[in-house]
Amino acid sequence: MNFDLNFATNPDLVAFQDEVHTWLEENAPRDVPRSADPILYTHEEFEWRRDIGRKLGAKGWLYPTFPSEYGGGGLDLDRATIIQLALDEHRIPVPPYYNSGGPLAAASILVWGTEEQKRFFVPPILRGETVTWQLLTEPQGGSDLATVTTRATKDGDDYVINGQKVFVGGAYEFDYAWTIVNTDPLGPRHQNVSWLMVPAKSEGMTRQSLDLFTVHGAGESPVGPKEAVFFDNVRVPAFNLVGGENNGWKVASTHLEYEHGGAGHLRNIWVLDEFFQYCKETKFRGKPISENPDVRDILADVWADYQVDKLLGMRTFWLHHTKRPMSYEGIQSTFYHRMFSLRTSQRIQQALGYFGLVSDPQWTPNEGRTEVFVRYGLGSLHGGGTHDTDRVIMSRRMGLGRNASESAGQMV
Amino acid sequence: MDLSLTESQQMLKATAAEFVKTEVPTHVVTELSRKNVGFVPELWRKAAGLGWAGMLTPPQYGGAGLGYTDTAVLFEELGRAPLVGPFFSSGVLAPLVILEAGTEEQKQSLLPPLARGERIATVAISDPAPSFGADSVLMTAARDGDAYVLNGTKLFVHDAAAADYLICAVRTEPEDPNDLTRGITLVVVETGAAGVSVRNLEGFMAAVGQVDLSGVRVPASAVLGTPGQGWPALQRAMQRALPVLCAYQVGGAQEVYEFTADYTKTRVVFGQPIGRFQRVQDHVVELVNNLDGARWTTYEALSKLDDHQPAAGNVHLAKAMASDGYYQACVNSLEVHAGVGTDRQHPLVPHVIMARTLYSYLGDPRYHKRLMADAVGL
Repeated sequence: MNFDLNFATNPDLVAFQDEVHTWLEENAPRDVPRSADPILYTHEEFEWRRDIGRKLGAKGWLYPTFPSEYGGGGLDLDRATIIQLALDEHRIPVPPYYNSGGPLAAASILVWGTEEQKRFFVPPILRGETVTWQLLTEPQGGSDLATVTTRATKDGDDYVINGQKVFVGGAYEFDYAWTIVNTDPLGPRHQNVSWLMVPAKSEGMTRQSLDLFTVHGAGESPVGPKEAVFFDNVRVPAFNLVGGENNGWKVASTHLEYEHGGAGHLRNIWVLDEFFQYCKETKFRGKPISENPDVRDILADVWADYQVDKLLGMRTFWLHHTKRPMSYEGIQSTFYHRMFSLRTSQRIQQALGYFGLVSDPQWTPNEGRTEVFVRYGLGSLHGGGTHDTDRVIMSRRMGLGRNASESAGQMV
Repeated sequence: MDLSLTESQQMLKATAAEFVKTEVPTHVVTELSRKNVGFVPELWRKAAGLGWAGMLTPPQYGGAGLGYTDTAVLFEELGRAPLVGPFFSSGVLAPLVILEAGTEEQKQSLLPPLARGERIATVAISDPAPSFGADSVLMTAARDGDAYVLNGTKLFVHDAAAADYLICAVRTEPEDPNDLTRGITLVVVETGAAGVSVRNLEGFMAAVGQVDLSGVRVPASAVLGTPGQGWPALQRAMQRALPVLCAYQVGGAQEVYEFTADYTKTRVVFGQPIGRFQRVQDHVVELVNNLDGARWTTYEALSKLDDHQPAAGNVHLAKAMASDGYYQACVNSLEVHAGVGTDRQHPLVPHVIMARTLYSYLGDPRYHKRLMADAVGL
């Protein structure tokens, strides 16, 4: 076994590592102002992030392990790892802009779409040319995705959509909405849903901002305020329906496997690295607060939890990219991350007191990012399901109380 | 044994509940929270008109002279909103500090205006510090003739923006490294005095401010009681005040419990009300355990105070359980509500923020559990 992420013994990989770092220094300057709070970010920052995304996409580094014939990088695990670590060092999440539906739609279309659909929809996503939001949650549905009521009706060569999605997207422009809809209200559960790629500029689609206390915070790309999206007789060409009418639950199994963490991650949560640093550098009564025995115990708890979070993500990353069989691993890393984030939210306040809550520029640690994590930890229990649905899925994958285990969704 | 409220306590509870329902309905509370408003003068005047700014204050100093449990009944209802305002700072803590520390003359001059709600006071203890305690008092007051000169910052002061004056903890003697509780003096500082600036702070917290003091001169007569004896007086006052704060937290947790339990009946997914799912039931069961742990430790502490029994262990236990209980109750409710519970228009959000704020106020659960262990001789 080898957990080492150092490639020094392989000259080709060292050269590639140098290439990636040099490129990032030139193309992703570190001094661009970045908002601490992912809800409050500027259009200027959005544009900067889009620009980096396009450049990374053009090189195949945005989605390095996706097939190159559809715009991905076609790279191996080592090179994908090098890119991921380098981006992490530059504090650039992948993708650098909010693109919740992008990789999920691309993967789902690659698994379930026609050849024509793959060639039309996937390359612009993987090259970073388009922004795609996922539109799943509805006010009445929440975790119960199969009860979507947003209705798509076939009308000639089009589908006509009516309904509402909520807790979706973020600020600023997007190109496509990767949307699950009901195509047969009288049909049996799980056999009445379908997926559509809806162009964002379609007539009849309107957006409304929500005012939530948290969206993200563990170093993902900023989002802006979450939104509700309304469909009022929105017409979409039938070509945009992916995976066949009423076959959407199968498509969802791929989508959800990715959304639930099935691709793993090598992510460092640098917001927490900064928190440790803050505790080491900030003195109270002449001593770093990290040396206070209470604080030290708390930091140790956070650190231990954080290592498990990283290792579970790494384990899943390795399983996925080496195409080994998977069962509960993706959803497990998602579940662990939620609970770890919740615990960390409280521990930050236990260590820092009100300094964990204040966002005033004079007092807030790490320009506000620590306080953002405190809120994020409370909101991390949901999003892409909840910690409760995670437990249901894990139990099914492990086959608890069943003779047959549920298998993981098909991935690219 | 009798664990019921008296008739007059039940009447007060009903009056307070009606006040909260009428004056601060949910949409008003969420709006105040979204705008980080920590003080509504009009509401304060109305509440003071009902005598709620001087519940514990003895009649000879203009107050109602009621008991701890009486006062807590009111605070439990205020916590249900949760209603912001200097109800605890100026109505409970400051008067008790004055009663514990002040001279007779000071009690007579300071307490009646507080009890009538005409003036508002808050207690400013900590300088910028990651935790609460005597070690968080850093500010020194230099003696200059018959005056003291104060320089520094008091941080995370509750209800600072509403206050007419602060009761400020400062050091008037060199620190004794073996006992940081010694040499602390309580000084009355008018927020309108030259060199004082006050501002409300933004963050995931409610009604917490910063006070900067720059060359502020106060006469020696502004010292409450005896110089150097401030910390023991603060401790005695907190021993009496904290259970009332706990009652506010209990009220918050009670409200969260009620709307969360209701939601499990009305929210239908997977073909049934979510309350039928064992996982959801688990969250509400945890919630109500957090609530009741907070409630009964609080009631016991209040009762001991009313009966003039030794209560230190109970008071620290109550502050630990109420702070943690209210916090965890909000987390349990978030587990049930998921996304909608993070919408700033949802009634849960002001509770989440208030629970976080009060968690660190006057010592977090770890701090109080340690003092509890000392008090009960563990």
